[in-house]
Formats: sequence, structure tokens, C-alpha cells
Amino acid sequence: MTDDEETYLLLLLSDSNLPTGSFVASSGLESYITHAFGSRDAYERTVSFMHDSLASYTRSALPFVSDAHQLVSHYRNNLTNHDRSNTLSILRSLDDLYETMTLNHVARRASKSQGVALLSLYSKGFSRKPTSTSTSVDADDDEVVARISDLVTQFKLCVRKEATHGHLPICWGILTAALGLSLERSQYLHIFLQARSLLSASVRLNEIGPYGAQQILLHSARPLIISQLDKCKELRTGVLDGDNPADETANGPANTWPLGELLAIRHDLLHSRIFNS
Amino acid sequence: MLPHVAQIHAGGGRIVLSQHSGNAIFSELSSTYPLKLLSPRVQQKCVAVVYALTYGGGLVGGDQVHLSAEINQAAILLLLTQGSTKVFKSRAEQRLASVKRLFEFPNDNPPATTSSIGFTSPNTIQKMDFKVSPNAVLVLLPDPVTCFRSASYSQIQTFHLAKDASVVVLDWITSGRRSRGEEWVFSRYSSVNEIVVDGKRIARDVLLLETEEGKDDVRMGSSTQQRTLADRLSPYACYATVLLSGPAIQTLAEGLRERYGKMTVMKATTPTELLWSLSSICSDSDGLGMIVRVAGKDTELVKEWLRDALSSLADVVGIDVYRRAFV
Repeated sequence: MTDDEETYLLLLLSDSNLPTGSFVASSGLESYITHAFGSRDAYERTVSFMHDSLASYTRSALPFVSDAHQLVSHYRNNLTNHDRSNTLSILRSLDDLYETMTLNHVARRASKSQGVALLSLYSKGFSRKPTSTSTSVDADDDEVVARISDLVTQFKLCVRKEATHGHLPICWGILTAALGLSLERSQYLHIFLQARSLLSASVRLNEIGPYGAQQILLHSARPLIISQLDKCKELRTGVLDGDNPADETANGPANTWPLGELLAIRHDLLHSRIFNS
Repeated sequence: MLPHVAQIHAGGGRIVLSQHSGNAIFSELSSTYPLKLLSPRVQQKCVAVVYALTYGGGLVGGDQVHLSAEINQAAILLLLTQGSTKVFKSRAEQRLASVKRLFEFPNDNPPATTSSIGFTSPNTIQKMDFKVSPNAVLVLLPDPVTCFRSASYSQIQTFHLAKDASVVVLDWITSGRRSRGEEWVFSRYSSVNEIVVDGKRIARDVLLLETEEGKDDVRMGSSTQQRTLADRLSPYACYATVLLSGPAIQTLAEGLRERYGKMTVMKATTPTELLWSLSSICSDSDGLGMIVRVAGKDTELVKEWLRDALSSLADVVGIDVYRRAFV
């Protein structure tokens, strides 16, 4: 994939109009505000929430994005001995580990609905229409697309049959690898979108204005995203190597903000709420 | 002396509890320095109590404790500590240097972390493995862990449950020695709790609290605002997690669910003294598992809350035995 093609994909995937369901998620921000945490100043409150929340999310979810991406991209590019059913079964193990590590029913609910939305986005929005004239004259390319579409369809079927959960980080890894986006860009975009979605939630909650959101996104979010990615981009779950994650304390996914987790779980107790999480 | 003692390493401990005609009987109960296991006599049928103690009431950098326990068919074990587990920062000299280390690390060195003041502190590790048989119950109600300034601590607990086995796991941490003004100033704390039922993992809770390295990010022309542990965790000074699984805790779980369901949160002007949350463990564990999280402005508040919230455990272990916890 050329740099231009990748840039085009990034533009497509960062469209805030994509039906990914993130607009109903505040990832605990609404609960944080209702419970009166953070600074009295709403702007500062949003920035500190974004800091703590994004750090914990990156540490717990990015290893899953990375593993799912690596697995699917190897499958796509024929760099692996894993056949389709093998690949699907490892994806399900990843999904299962994420489920057992997300000990928060509110977050699980949000993650699943966004994950499934991404799979639908791929099959309904990004797949090539069979009748349309393909711009590629490359038969190999067509074969790759067919092979990967089939994998995504099968995984989506597993979710529909409730044979797996379809969590967001796994589905994001699958989607971006299926489209041919590099791992680095997939990781970056995922964390960027998480930050942007927190800020959109803050706007909707009347904490900050739309200009404030852009200001934070440009000046505060960027160094934060970069530093979190630096810390977590090499982390893996251990599932791909068949490691027992129980032996890992230092290098695996982890929750780093117990207060945020507690408040996110309490979202369902809020007397009035506009978000689902 | 028990023959098994010779086989376990420094800081090792082993408990095997069985039940014969209503009596809880230890077929093994052994430990080596700095770990000590004590079992007081209790009257309750099928129930045994073990205190896991460390000499000097704490662990220093590089200490490694590994306890493994088996609770056999229909036996009930309550595992307690006496006073919080204090984790000191490392000392330069190796405690018990003559004793073979418990864990082998690939590079011959335990994982080390660099504390904020720049020296390398060896990690203190506590590892516990539990095997719980059908109809057996493990209740783990230790005092909280208190990490002192610059301390580095890892805890890994795994629970292998047979079908119809039950566990209650309390895992909690305080902000440090508040009398000395320590508030979340340890170097690193990690805690892993994994529950496997009938060969299938149903929960894996991993908490990592790490002091951020004090490096400014200059790449963007502005420094990244650093958030300290205290920034993230205040105004609370104690965080607790309780994992519950199995048929023996169903009354307790129902009680908690009911209590939780009655709460409604209105817009507050200031954070409350204590907060707690309840969630099911994972969507396909048949509702058999739950996780409770508690945060409080001081440890006493959290302790009182736990004592009260878990009081129906008295029906499982007996009221006199339950009174030994949360003292």
C-alpha cells in the first residue's frame, strides 16, 4: 500500500460521521462529572479525565488491537501457517481474554456494540461491490480482498451466533488489518479516536465548547497520545505466543485507573443520563 | 517435623486442607522464612483458619513469597493476615542471600524498577495459587497491602476452581504511611487475580499503579502535563476489590445486588467519603461471578464497609470465625 492510499484510508476512518456507535459512549466521563470528581473548572476537568482515562484505556486495550492486527495482517498477506479456522480461533481467544479482563458490565456493553458496528462498517461500507468495476487490474489483489472479506464475514457470524463477543479493540485490529493499514497507524488512530470521542462527549455534556474541544485535541491530546503509544505500542497479550498470561505482571494489559473503573461501572446508577456508558 | 518443609524454598508455604466427617484436617501446613502459617483451633464444622504472617510484619525489596493451597472436597478455609502487609523499599543487602531464590528469571535477575529517585529497587513478589475442589470454599480476607515510599510490589493470585467450588477474594491497597505524609508515593504496585472455573478462565483482574517517570515531553514544544498517582487516585486513600464466585456465595451476591440496585446517583457537589460498585464477572459465567470495587477516604471506612457488606459470610464460615476478619 502506498503512502497516499494509507492517508486516504486514515481520512476515511477518522470521519466523525462513521456509524461506529461511539457517540453514545462517554467512557465514564458522565459518571465522573455527576459524582463531582476532578477540578471545579470544567475545561481542566475534561483534560485531567482524558489523561487518566486514555492512559488506562491504552494500557488495557492496545495490546489487543496489536495482536488482532498482527494476526489478521499475516493472514491477509499469506505470511502465516494459520488457516482460516485457526486464525478465527485465535481471534476468539483474544476476544475471550478481553471479556474476562473487562470486569465492568457497562464497558463490556459499549465495547461490544462498537465492535460489531466496525464489522458491519467493513462488510457494508468498505467491501467492494461485486458488480462494480474494480480499479485494480491485479488478480492477486482481488484474491486478497476475497480472502480477507471471507475472514471478517466468518468472525462477524461468530459474533452473531454469540460464539464470541466482538469487542472493540479486537474488531478495530481486524478492520484496519483487513483494509491494509499498517500496525503503527492503526494503533495511533485507535487512541486518537478514543481521545476525540471523550472530547465529543464532553461537548455534549456541556463541559467544554466545540472550540475548546479542538484546542484540547490539538494541544493537550497530541503529546498525551504520543506518550501513551510510546509506552504501550510494544505490549502484547501473550495469546499469539500461547503464553499463559497469568505469569505476566509487567508486560500485559492492565487497568491503571481504579477510580475511573469504579465510576464507569456506576454509570447505570445515574439518576439522569444522556450516554449509555 | 513435616517432611515437606525441606522441599520448599525460602518464603514458600503449602496448605492442604481436607474434610473428614465434619472435621477440617490439614494434611499439610508448612512454610519457610520469612513466611509463617499459623492455624488456631476453631469450633466451626468443616472450617479451618490460617493466618499467613511474615516475620517483622512486612516484606522488603527482593522478598518472594509463594504460597500454594489445596482445599479439598467440602472443606472451608478462611485465610487471614495479622495487620497490613507492609512493603518496604529495597535494602542494598540481600535478605537471606544464602537461600536459593524462589523464582528463576530468564536473565537471572528479578524484574527491577527504577524509582523516582533513581536507584533500582528489586521487586517484592507475592505469588499464591489455590486449588478448590467441588463444594469446598476458600475465603481470602487479608488486611490491605501498604507500600511504603519507593517500594515495588507484585502480587499474582490464581484460583483454580472445580465446578461447584466457591471463592471470596479480597484484595486491597492503602496509599502508604499517612502518618509520615506518604500518599501514593510508592514506585510500583501490580496485582493480578485470575479465576479459572472448570478449566475456563472467567475473570482476570490486573491492576497496575506506577509512578510516571518524571520526564518532560519536549517534542511537541510543550511539556506533557504529568499526572501523579495521587492525582489519579485522590481523594481516596484505600482501594479494594472483592471477587466472588460459586454456589456458596449466592446469598451474599443476591444481598449485594439488591443493595446496589437501590442506589441512585444525583448530581453531587463533592465526592462522597466512600464509593462502591458492583458488576457481573463476565457475560457467559451464568451470573455466578461478581466483582465489587470499593474506594474510601481512609482505610477504616473501607474496612467497616466490607465487614458489613460481607457479613452474610458468617453463614458460611460461622459467626465466631467471621469475627476474626476485619479486626
